[in-house]
Amino acid sequence: MGAVESGGESKSHARAGKKHKKKRRIRIRIDMTPMVDVAFLLLTFFMLTTYFSKPQTMELNLPADEKAQVEVAESNLLTIRVASDGQMYWNTGMDPAHQIEVKELRKFLVDKNKENPKLITLLKIDREGKYSMLIKVMDEIAIAQVTRFSLAPMSEYDKRQVQKARAS
Amino acid sequence: MPKIKKKRVGYALDMTPMVDVAMLLLTFFMMTTQFRPEEATAIDLPASHAPFKMPETDIMVVTVNREGRVFLGVDAQSLRAQLFGEANKLRPSMEIEDRAVLHDLLIQARIANPKLRTLVKGDKEAPYGPVEDILNILRQVKITRFNLVTELEKN
Repeated sequence: MGAVESGGESKSHARAGKKHKKKRRIRIRIDMTPMVDVAFLLLTFFMLTTYFSKPQTMELNLPADEKAQVEVAESNLLTIRVASDGQMYWNTGMDPAHQIEVKELRKFLVDKNKENPKLITLLKIDREGKYSMLIKVMDEIAIAQVTRFSLAPMSEYDKRQVQKARAS
Repeated sequence: MPKIKKKRVGYALDMTPMVDVAMLLLTFFMMTTQFRPEEATAIDLPASHAPFKMPETDIMVVTVNREGRVFLGVDAQSLRAQLFGEANKLRPSMEIEDRAVLHDLLIQARIANPKLRTLVKGDKEAPYGPVEDILNILRQVKITRFNLVTELEKN
């Protein structure tokens, strides 16, 4: 495999020794096999170790100051609460909470925002919950092109609301 | 009757084009490969549809692993020496147990390199509690713009 020859034809070479005292052409034969073997080894190594998919990132802007209070009319406030077991509940203003599935969230957000363009979404996730829920909900928010949303800590009051929704 | 000898067919296969292509591929992979930066803890990223690629230089990564432990890492070795001490400059990231320490380190890092971009890298299974703490700390140190590292969701 991969042998390289250089120099004259083999027939003339055989005759050259007997009759004519021609200058001998030196045939160089380099056996390329080990080099090619190593090359293939390296090739497989690089093919296996390389990775093309760089991680993606989700950009997040949070308000600088916690003290900045924004007055929001109750009817314009949509709260999404994520309980520790990953169940989601939504309500507007002070209404009782309703359960919602992650799959329905996108359409729900689009509809709600169409209904009320001034809507502000507030996301509250239980500290015992999973981080992936934050990513999931934020992803849906980004896809639904909801620009006005905020993160807030889940208070005892929120937990009670979730309990109430579960009981009913 | 004399046996008719079967002629042996000697065949030579020219491997040159294959080797050429192999070499070409080899150079390609050697040039493009980037080794995955070593990490202090294994992270299984959550998936999202976020379109931005992760920046590679001037980054500061706050990692939350599966158990909710928090790590801080920066890419520049000089900055690592400054933040974590000369002895730890080769370690990609350090575990930070105290939230107040994280707060101070974030400020120091931003002073040392104002161009530093902040990435929050959480495991899929990580609890939300530590992440919430980190978001609050980021807010306190006035890093209002940061990125959450995710994997591209396939569909």
